[in-house]
Amino acid sequence: MVVLLQGRPVLLSRKDSGHSYSSVKRCERPSDFVNYLREALEGVISNLKGNSGKSNSKMSGRPDGTMVYLVFDNLERVRDWDKSSTILPFLFNLYDILKMPEVGLIFISNTSPDTYYLNVGYVEPVPLYFPNYTEDDLRHIFMVNQANRKLYAAFLDVVLRPFCRVTRRVDELAAALSSLFEKYCEPLSDKQVVPNEEMKRKLFSQIRPHIASALNATFHVQSQPLLRAETNKETKKTNSSRMSGYLEDSDKIDFHMSTSAKYLLISAFLASRNPATLDASLFDSTGVSDSRKRKRKASEKSMEQKEMAEQELLMKGPGTFPLERLLAIFQCITSLAEDSLDEEESHEPTTEGGSRGLMSDVLLQLSSLCNANFIIKGGSCPLEGSTRYRTAVSEDLALKEVANICNDTSSALASSVLVTQIHTLLYRTWQVRVDYISRSCNGVADILARFGRHATLKGSLLVAPLDRVALLVATDQKHWEEGRMAEGRMRAIPHG
Amino acid sequence: MGREKEKEKPSEKALNLLRSRLADPNFIFKPLSDSPDSNYSKLKFIISTSVTEACNNSILLLGPRGSGKVAVLELVLSDLLQQYPDVISVIRLNGLLHSDDNCALKEIARQLCMEHQLLFSKVASFDDNSQFMIAMLRECGLAHKTIIFVLDEFDFFAQGKQRLLYSLLDAMQSVNSQSVVIGVSCRLDVDQLLEKRVRSRFSHRKLLFLSPSKEDTERFMEHILSLPVDSSIPQNYTAEFNGRLKKIISDERFKELITTYLSFNFTIGHLVRFQAVSYMDLDVGFLSLENFKTALSSNQRQSKLECIRDCSILELYMLVCMKRLEVKEQNSYNFFSVMTEYKSIHDSSQTSDNYAANVCLRAFEHLLQRQLISFIDNKGHNQSVEFRPVKLLISSAELHQGLKSSHQCPPVTMLRAARTHLENPSAFWLLTPQHLYSVMH
Repeated sequence: MVVLLQGRPVLLSRKDSGHSYSSVKRCERPSDFVNYLREALEGVISNLKGNSGKSNSKMSGRPDGTMVYLVFDNLERVRDWDKSSTILPFLFNLYDILKMPEVGLIFISNTSPDTYYLNVGYVEPVPLYFPNYTEDDLRHIFMVNQANRKLYAAFLDVVLRPFCRVTRRVDELAAALSSLFEKYCEPLSDKQVVPNEEMKRKLFSQIRPHIASALNATFHVQSQPLLRAETNKETKKTNSSRMSGYLEDSDKIDFHMSTSAKYLLISAFLASRNPATLDASLFDSTGVSDSRKRKRKASEKSMEQKEMAEQELLMKGPGTFPLERLLAIFQCITSLAEDSLDEEESHEPTTEGGSRGLMSDVLLQLSSLCNANFIIKGGSCPLEGSTRYRTAVSEDLALKEVANICNDTSSALASSVLVTQIHTLLYRTWQVRVDYISRSCNGVADILARFGRHATLKGSLLVAPLDRVALLVATDQKHWEEGRMAEGRMRAIPHG
Repeated sequence: MGREKEKEKPSEKALNLLRSRLADPNFIFKPLSDSPDSNYSKLKFIISTSVTEACNNSILLLGPRGSGKVAVLELVLSDLLQQYPDVISVIRLNGLLHSDDNCALKEIARQLCMEHQLLFSKVASFDDNSQFMIAMLRECGLAHKTIIFVLDEFDFFAQGKQRLLYSLLDAMQSVNSQSVVIGVSCRLDVDQLLEKRVRSRFSHRKLLFLSPSKEDTERFMEHILSLPVDSSIPQNYTAEFNGRLKKIISDERFKELITTYLSFNFTIGHLVRFQAVSYMDLDVGFLSLENFKTALSSNQRQSKLECIRDCSILELYMLVCMKRLEVKEQNSYNFFSVMTEYKSIHDSSQTSDNYAANVCLRAFEHLLQRQLISFIDNKGHNQSVEFRPVKLLISSAELHQGLKSSHQCPPVTMLRAARTHLENPSAFWLLTPQHLYSVMH
């Protein structure tokens, strides 16, 4: 007999002897549920007792040992439901409501009975407490089904006690101990050997440095590259690098995220952790105005206050930010990444064709990051009406992402807009020659480009070089001559 | 089959008999109902007069949970059904299920249809159902049949607009009907909850079911646990069993035990759940005082203390850190503040229990699962676990008790850390030698 409770609409299903669900009834109210349940239980009980036909509920015979038990598992989840204040007393009073002595109710819960007290009283179910496993119990559990009992017993003697200080749950211990046992058995050529005292001591000294790192690790699934690395390790590595390799691989984040998603993650982190007022100074790439402000030496008190404010911010947790701020920061970061050569980039959002395509991509990435719980969607601000977001990523993870991206320059360039535009130009059907002209030789073009950007007219015809430019032409020439002579040493930028 | 019965020990048979008695409410409440002064007789009198004299009536049965209200009612109803067959029909409603008016009327209509073999339509509307009920009341009144409405958990019907109560009581008064409304409730003041118009139609008859006196309790225990002389159990065993039982019951310690138990579980229903019988040692074959003592101690469980005893050392560290934060008047703290406190304990005294943040977070989540700590507000679902503020659900006395009796000997640093911020200086406790020895290995 299986009863499924799903919030308010309560589902009743019946299992016949073939272990398949023969009939399913859906009901919205507890009264319907009780009626269906009573019918179903009477049917089951009469089947069990071997009577034909339905037994009259008013004159049920004396109970003779046939029982139907309804088992409710994970009862503590009901406390988090919306209707828990009506469902819990209903469940606990179900025995009195049904008034069928052949029916027993069993509740399984992770929390103690005093967490279920509500305004409505009920006759408390008889409590039966299952205490946590002691160390001896755990030893017995882990020794079951072991091929080499003496070896495993020696291993447990060494390892079980420190691990029991951290956790005594079988699932967590099993995961940690199994990987550690493989390491323990590594130097042994014969896995069936019974260890003597000296061997035990040697094995212990070999495993000891690994214990500390294993204690600080929570359960993780080994990804495929790690397994392959382990099979190769016999060939070359020394002991210490093996251990550091284990740590490194486990620390590496092997998400398969596109680079723009990683940038989005980092910008969400920055938006959450920094208050909005700092945005202007942080992302102002000119750097001119800031250095003037920072000339004042910070007094000790303000430093202390700043520290306390930082600590408080850390305790409060990441703040929320609206979508526009996220996109603004994202634009800043990606444009900074692509224009690492160009210092004086203005950070007004550019409306070139490439960035429009990037925007829809960004919104898609944002929704997938929300679904993956890297960014949490919070409530909407009542004044503005827009939804706010919050980052769910720890500082370590964000810093690692940044480090990965900085080390991985090829991918950074690949996602920048300018480079993709260049690629599309190159792939057109014309002959292309790419030459490198250094900035120092190209000052004239630089000035002219800026002149054109700030000019109000659509175009202007210059018949003579501008005054500003005249001097520069000579310096450009000089640099070009120097560059020519050093051409042998300089490597040309690859084509395409 | 006969051979099996002979092999069955008399103690097992006795145990089965006692258990079946304890689970049968009829057996429990019958002896209490024999006197003419009891609630049983009063109730029976009221209902039978309204049946014989063809009048309407209403009554409330009040008393704490487990005091036998519904059991006595069922006894009365079964007796009356035997006495007046075909005259009485019973409709049972429960406040937990049927407090909504639509639901309640539908249930009334359904039960009436079942009683009188009519077809019940599930899609009948509220008006249809109420008209049907009034029509049935009239018909039954004309045919001199009584309908008894039993309203369990009456206080739920008294919530909201009390439409059902009003329509029921109004129908009883206006239509020529014979019906009795019996309300059963645990709230002793439930008649104060009724609206004015409902209360005026309700007769103020109340029957109080209170806890029995001491002598009654002893008589009851003896009656329940003595084996009957005329059962299939051998005579000499029965005689010895009853003799021993008498000795136990007259023992002073037993009286103390029962008084302690009854001081917080004072109804017959709770007394019946006192599970001394299940602790009966089958080899010895008789009940002893030790069985009662074990049952009492198993009833006086301290659930949070058991949870603390089962925590690992790291989880205990988290609890001690939170206690220290509370004593430092820091009322709202989250996982990060607990971690800073933890690190400061380990910085001041170098211990081996310094673990990384992810392991500590896992221990923190275990504590949340066991409900030794909980979130302050349940609405902060858009924050991750590390940032939501938490509160401790155990008191400092429980924490100290748990540390003392923990299965794993907690390290000296933890005990010292827990002790430096004692709120109540008189609750000072000494480090026992076993704790000191545990540090040495």
